[in-house]
This record gives sequence, C-alpha cells and structure tokens, in this order.
Amino acid sequence: MGGKLRIAILGCGAITKSRHLPAVLAHPDAQLTALVDTDTQRAAALARLNRVQCRIAADYRSVLGEVDAIINALPNSLHAPIIMEALNAGVHVLCEKPLATTSADARACCELATQKNLVLAVGMNRRFQAGSLILSSVLEDGLLGSIQGYDCQYGGSYDWETTSGFYFSKAEAGGGVLIDYGVHLLDTLVDWFGPVVSFEYQDDDWGGGIEANVILDLHHRGKYGDIHGLMRLSRTHELPNRLLVTGSECSSENPASDTDVVLIHRRLAGQEVTMTLRRPEANLGFRSNSFYKQLANFVRSVQGVEPPVVDGWQALSIIELIEQCYANRHRIPEPWSELADSRFEVSS
Amino acid sequence: MNWLQKPIFVTGATGFIGGRVCERLTQAGAKDVRALVHTVQHASRIARLPINLVPGSLLDLASLREAMGDAKIVIHCGLAPARGILSSTENTLKAAAAVGVERFVHMSTAAVHGLTPAPGSETESADLPRTGDHYCDNKGRAEGIVNSFHRRGLPTVILRPSIVYGPYSAWSIRLVRELRDGKVTLIENGNGACNTGYVDNLVDAVFLAIETEKAVGETFYITDGERITWGDFIRAHVPMVENAPSLNEISKQEVRDYYRRQPGLIWGSIQQSGQLLRSRELRMLLRRIPAMERVQTALWGWMQAQPEEKRERIRARFSPSDGASPESNGEFSMPEEVTVATQTGTVFFSIDKAKRILGYEPRVPFSRGITMVEQWLRFANHL
Repeated sequence: MGGKLRIAILGCGAITKSRHLPAVLAHPDAQLTALVDTDTQRAAALARLNRVQCRIAADYRSVLGEVDAIINALPNSLHAPIIMEALNAGVHVLCEKPLATTSADARACCELATQKNLVLAVGMNRRFQAGSLILSSVLEDGLLGSIQGYDCQYGGSYDWETTSGFYFSKAEAGGGVLIDYGVHLLDTLVDWFGPVVSFEYQDDDWGGGIEANVILDLHHRGKYGDIHGLMRLSRTHELPNRLLVTGSECSSENPASDTDVVLIHRRLAGQEVTMTLRRPEANLGFRSNSFYKQLANFVRSVQGVEPPVVDGWQALSIIELIEQCYANRHRIPEPWSELADSRFEVSS
Repeated sequence: MNWLQKPIFVTGATGFIGGRVCERLTQAGAKDVRALVHTVQHASRIARLPINLVPGSLLDLASLREAMGDAKIVIHCGLAPARGILSSTENTLKAAAAVGVERFVHMSTAAVHGLTPAPGSETESADLPRTGDHYCDNKGRAEGIVNSFHRRGLPTVILRPSIVYGPYSAWSIRLVRELRDGKVTLIENGNGACNTGYVDNLVDAVFLAIETEKAVGETFYITDGERITWGDFIRAHVPMVENAPSLNEISKQEVRDYYRRQPGLIWGSIQQSGQLLRSRELRMLLRRIPAMERVQTALWGWMQAQPEEKRERIRARFSPSDGASPESNGEFSMPEEVTVATQTGTVFFSIDKAKRILGYEPRVPFSRGITMVEQWLRFANHL
C-alpha cells in the first residue's frame, strides 16, 4: 500500500468524537476520507468542530469504493453486517467492541476476513493502556510469585455520553454491562491467564431486559497454571474499580483512576508498602492514548508490518464466552425485591 | 379486563419510586409497560425489566404524546425541577386526556403542607397553605391542576407520600455515608415526626388507586401508619455502619442562632464574590476576557488611588467573617435549615382515608423495611 491509509469512520457518536476521530487526525499515515452517520448534520458538525475537510455521508455503501479501511463505531447490532459488506468490498476493518452480538456472526466475519486476506482488528483499547502492558511484564517477570487469583470489580452509575442510547436496547446492544464493558476485561484476563475452562455467571436481568450487574466466577488454565478469579460489574453502583491480582509474594493493582500505572502492594521489612510502576516514556499527548496506539497497530497491520494485537479470532473467543455466560445465567438474588403474600405479586 | 393487561405509562421511571413501580408492575405480570426515559444514562435499573423504554420529556408535550401512545393507565411519578413541576404535570394530564386514559395516578407529596406541616394538616381535608417553598407550593398547585382535569372528566387520583424509603433511596444512601463520616446530627433529640413510607407500601397504594373506583377524584396520604420519628429512622441505620461515630445532637434554637449570625443572601454573595475575586487564579483566568481585563485594571487603579486606610477597610469588608463556626470544628457539620424544617415537624399524617376507601393496609412494617434497605445497601457496596 502506498500513501496514506484512507479511512472512513462509520458512526459519529460519543466514542468517535472523543477517541477515534482524534486518533485518525493525529496519525501521520492516516487520512480521514469520510464521516458517515445517518444523521448527516451530526457528522458535519463533528467535521466542523475538528476543522477537517472530508466527505459527509449518510450511507456507508457510498464510501466503500473510496477508502482503504473503515472504523466501525456503529451500534453493536450493526457491527457484523457492515463488516461483511466492507470486507466484500475489499476494505480493511477496525471494529469497535464487541465484534458482533452473536458468535455465529463473529465467526462469519473472521472467516471472510481470512478468505479475503484483509485485516479485521477489534477495538480492545485496554490492551494498549500502559497499565495493562506493565501488568503483562509484571506477570511475565514473576514479580508477584505464583499467581493465586484475581479480583476484578468495576462499577459506577452509568454516565457514558451515549448519543443514540442503543446501550439500553437488547436488540441493538446484544446485552448489558457484560457485553459492553465486561468484554474488555474478559479480553485482557483471557490474554493474561489463558482460556476459561469453567465459570459461574449471575446477573440481574429480570428476563427480557439487559443486565446492570454481573457476578462472574472464572477458572482459567494458562501459562501461570490454574487461576480462579472474580469479576463484578455494575451500572447502578460504585465498585472498587480496580483489578487486583494476588500472588504468593505480593499483589498488583490496576486502578481505573490511572490506567498508566500498576501498584504493587507488598511487605517490606515487616511494613505494608505500595510501589507505583510507571513507564518512563515521554508524554506524547494524544499519541500516548490507547486509542491512538490501537489505530497505529491497525495501520501497521494493513501495511503488513505487524499483526493486529486483537484480531477477529481472538475477539470471537470472547464473544463465545459471553454467549455461554448468557446461556447459563443465574439470577443474582434480590431479597429486597421479593415480597410474599400480596395479591399483586407474581413470582418473577 | 384486568388493568394489568392494559397499556400502562409510567413517568419518573428512572427515579426511585417510578423505578420500583416498574419492577412491581413486572412482578405483577403487567403486559405492556411504557417507561418514560428522559436521560437514558439513568435507565440502567429499569433496562433490566421486560418493559418498553420510551424517550421523551415531561416538558415537551409532543414527545409525551408520542411516548404515551394509547396508554390506558398513567402513573405520574415524574419530577421536573421546581419551576417545571406545573408544566410537566399539565403536559402529562393533557396527553392523558387526549388519549382518554382510564386512570391517572398523580404522585404528589405530603410536603404540600410545607416542610414543617402545621397541626391540623393530619387529614386530607385541611386546606393547603402558601408555604413560601417553591417545591412545596408548586406541588400544591400541581394538585390543583390535577383536580381541574378531574372536573373535566379525567379519572385522577392523588397520592401524598411523605418520607419514602427503601432500596435505591437517596435518604438511606446519604444517611449511611454521613453516619460513617460522623456528620449526622439529631435535631431536638430526633423527636420530629418522620412519616415514613416503605416504597412497596406506596406502590401497593398506587395499584389500589388504579383498581378502586371510589378513589377517583380523591386525595390520600400514604405512609406506613407507624409513628416513626427521625430519631427512630436515623438510629435504625446506625448498626449498619461499622464503627460509626456517635450521633451529634443540636437544638432547633442553636441552629437558628447559627444561621442568624450568617450574612444574608445578598451580602453573603457579595462577600463570597469578593473572596473569589481575591484569588489570584480566578483573576488570571478572568484577565483572558478582554473586557474583564479592563475592568480589573480600572478597579486596581481605583484602589491604588485610595488612601491606605480606606483600602484596608475595603479589604476587611470582603474578608471571610471570623468567629467560631460549628462547621469549622471538624466534629460535625451544621444541619441545613431545610433539614431542620423537615426533621422538626410534629404532625403524623393519618392514613385512615386510604384504609377506608382504598383498602390500603401497609404490609411492610418499619422493622422489615429497614432490613431490606440494609440488604440492598450491602449489595450495592454502600456498607
């Protein structure tokens, strides 16, 4: 491929505005060719806001012949069908997570990308966060001793500046907090600790809705042996917001409040101390951002320099896991919601 | 036809009471529930339910009409800011009247009698006073609008709960946080009437208001009917909090004296503005606005032209007031005047009318309600 990578961004919602568009505009080998949104006024406003000249289109089909790649930042249910169309048009794809809302759709996308020899990368930006990369090194280096388990809890009142609100539509989102946020965490946990060999999954979907809370016990088998972990997610209340990995020597903490660091908690001369691990890299502004690094990896993948850090096949394995969770769900007990002896009551 | 089989429209569905109404409708087997959602980010709780989330705003009649569709029952728990209470209620009534709903349940409040209801307001027959509080007075006026629609043929029922508590309630969330921080103060030994209403008892009353013909056009106080004081309510939360510092105590008079010593609104605002303007950071920020830079330069020049004695007097006028403030001693924060007003009432509202006409019988006693609150607070990581 010669020249800059011509990119169209599909979907001009919150994630495009704050992450994907700044990444494309900052990358020296990327050229924004088009912003696509059914609401063309929103797309045009975004272009004006960023003082960028590009095509504004309502229909993604009209731009597929003019670009080398697309970033698919549309609602979840539109990921797979549009990936398929793009790949069939010979266009590389960086798709927002989740790759698809079903494993069947995700698999079809992966197979087509392989057949067409095109890049299908999935937006798991946590992989590119400095804190995640440091934790990988901490684990590799054996700093924690033998790994005993992890505790991964993320939650708060939902405040994502959603433009379309599709997150609360089961048909469009495919699920709730697990497929929306848990997909990131499962991706990194499986990357570190290996495939999940068994799990116990609970959520608070009342049947036909989407879950706001998840309690997931996981058992991995990987290069660090058998690892048991707990994941808790919430859209309704605050949780500790950190990943804690416990080892025989000490424990590590990845706090949500600073994704650039890993905290090591250990005893030193009989005292509990916390050490902060931070990479000594220069602050490159937005180029230090995980979305920029994700785009850079995608561009290099299209250039044939390196593989995508998260390709479709890896993302598929996480979709399969999420699908199994939903299929084997137990309801989180809510004794405060159950009232007996009422003529209004129908057991839920 | 059972009312649960009919389309039901709920406003305020992303809030504490409306959210529980939606859950209870689901548990009761309602087939077509439409929950109005203004701010989609707040919909996590009700998105778990097999109900329809419909976008719209109480302040936008067209969007309300579309959201309400052909609903036969409207449960209006929505709350707009104080000045929007009237228009939001009127809009909901207009939309309901236009589609011919069969029952409109309006969630009012016992606070229509003010934050400290006067003796005599125990029953629904008492006239509504002008309280001087925006929220209370507008909720009272909103009842008037509801009644005017009833006179024009809309089958309305007004419910007046008081202190509604339960899982997800801000009362309990805030209380355990403040207990942990040692910031809870019992006013007048906590003897004030609390008029608690467990949220499920209130929802029972909503359902009864829908299915009771004689309820149409009536207004009902809805509480648990127990004479729970603010001291009882607060003390019930104390054992939930590990190592909670002891409760502070203060009299109404001490609070009054404290606020009497504080500068009034206008002078207090001028003082605060003066203090803010004295901060270098703000001055530097303001200087980025060309007009403000000129004003600052002119003011500075004027100040420099004054005799030193006068300059000192001006500086002193804009200094923070000294004197010992109970807030500054680090032991407790002075209750706000609104808290004092809320927690020092003597009136326990009567639920006799609700019992007589609706057949309302509060089935969750305070002791059980508090247990369920604690279970939820633990789950939701508040304890």
